[in-house]
Amino acid sequence: MRKAFDTLVLIFIWLGVCLVLPFLGIPPKVSLYLFLFFVYLALANSWNLLAGFSGLVSLCTSAFFGLAGYCLILLSLLKVPLWIGFIVGLISNCLLATLIAIPTFRLSGIYFSIGTLVIPEAMRIIFFLWRPIKGTVHGGGAGYMLVGKVGMQSVYLLSALVGILSVAVLYWIVNSEFGLGLAAIRDNQRTAEASGINVYTLKLRSFMISACIASVAGSTFYLYQGYIEPASAFNVKWTMIAMLSTVIGGIGTIKGPIVGSAFVTFLHFLLARYGTLSLMVQGLVLIAVMLLAPQGLVGLLGQRFWPKVLEDRHKA
Amino acid sequence: MMEPTPFLMGALLGGLYALLALGLSLVFGVMRIINVAHGDFVLLATYLAYALFTYAGVDPFLSLCLLVPAMFLFGFIVQRYLFSRFLLRSAEAALIVAFGMSLVIQNLHQILWSPMSRGLTTPYSLKALDLGQVFIPFTYLLDFLVSLGAMVALHAFLSKTFLGKAIRAASQDLKAAQMVGINYRTVFAVSFGIAMVTAAMAGICLGLTFPFNPQSGVSFLIIAFGVVIIGGLGSMIGTFLGGVILGVAQVVSAELLGSAAQMLVVYALVLLILALRPQGLFGVR
Repeated sequence: MRKAFDTLVLIFIWLGVCLVLPFLGIPPKVSLYLFLFFVYLALANSWNLLAGFSGLVSLCTSAFFGLAGYCLILLSLLKVPLWIGFIVGLISNCLLATLIAIPTFRLSGIYFSIGTLVIPEAMRIIFFLWRPIKGTVHGGGAGYMLVGKVGMQSVYLLSALVGILSVAVLYWIVNSEFGLGLAAIRDNQRTAEASGINVYTLKLRSFMISACIASVAGSTFYLYQGYIEPASAFNVKWTMIAMLSTVIGGIGTIKGPIVGSAFVTFLHFLLARYGTLSLMVQGLVLIAVMLLAPQGLVGLLGQRFWPKVLEDRHKA
Repeated sequence: MMEPTPFLMGALLGGLYALLALGLSLVFGVMRIINVAHGDFVLLATYLAYALFTYAGVDPFLSLCLLVPAMFLFGFIVQRYLFSRFLLRSAEAALIVAFGMSLVIQNLHQILWSPMSRGLTTPYSLKALDLGQVFIPFTYLLDFLVSLGAMVALHAFLSKTFLGKAIRAASQDLKAAQMVGINYRTVFAVSFGIAMVTAAMAGICLGLTFPFNPQSGVSFLIIAFGVVIIGGLGSMIGTFLGGVILGVAQVVSAELLGSAAQMLVVYALVLLILALRPQGLFGVR
């Protein structure tokens, strides 16, 4: 109880610092990278919840991310308030998660990964062929522009809220009975089933929460980007970022994605001018981390380096 | 001039798809690694053949003499010195590493060859075989024959030679195989090498048949996964039939719904089969 309270305080302090930052006159470039950090953090948490805490190595994070972006931008074209776009994104992603679960949850381990890999590709083609709103297509493909402009400062604040809340949600899940059930499923599904855990329901709930986190990350990102087209919305890049941030930081830990997202954001900052080379370096970093520090930076630095409140229970 | 029937075209293409999936299936069956970089490895062979053809004028099929040993060595090294480190840890670790490798190779293609779409256009690639009633593109026939040949050869290798039997033993029960003195590290590295040889052959055939760009690896991978899912793992016949089913489904739906939607039908088919029969139509578990 005491520990949960400490964590809450820590999260509020963090949130407070982020809220004050823009008023201290930080340069726009820095706030852009802070914004990206929080979007990546939410994505990483979304993936970590599945791969790190539930034993579901999902490869369809970009499907949720892109769908949320499309909901936001398409609804803005219909002159609907932007916050409704966020909510519609959440609802459609929950539906999508339920739909994906039907064929893929019957598959165990690695087959699940294969099944989910197909989803973003299919979504890309669907949104390429299906133009929900006619006449407003931008660019060569099936692109849409967001109607209505939102200031960088408010987008940044929103991203901070989303990122930090995603950490809080994960923290809450890991330290709850629900998280304990997920850990049991991750470690041995058959034993979990035998001890009376409803595996399907728990997995589905975890999958839906993960989809929701990815959804708000996507909506926030496209609020900033203001433009969407299928090839980039459903790009494997988003899954990559989620995976990279989590694995570099430390999979199956709360602080892993925080450290990892900061690292990845810094990497993007360094390599921003090199485009293709940047992705290549990221791939190399991913392989190097898996080879040299499979527990991630968090594992490398050791348990004692971190504040006590961030200690993980139900560790793998 | 008569158009070839979509069914025939699809079936011929399916042979090639089966070859594409063979390497993926072998790596999974033996090492339990999901090689998500398989499509990019295939594309690596395609681009190497393209380079040899454009700058040295070597015929793509002749370039196999160079590419087969090169790709075998590449696969051997990748397995022996990279994937083998993750063998005993977890299947997910290997999956993540393969994912990283896919990114590296994909972007290497991008840097070396630019995102432009290219093709292997040989003097014979536009020829067609006139069978009176139907007209078969020469490349499709060639693809099918090469694939069939490769599959028969691999089947003979796995069932007749000592090394082939060792590979099968290691895939069936690793502990028992070790107990009878099989050096699993070498066996695994050889299996990966063989998978890369089939990837090289598939890469050249795909390059002759379709235009390709640095992103094509992803679609190759998804086709290969589709074949494996439809056909089921662990049976050569299943893989072959899976390839043919997928090829026919793709070509027929392209005919009916237009070329942009053809892959959508394939993905839907893959998900449907996953939902109804996770072990594949012909797989045994």
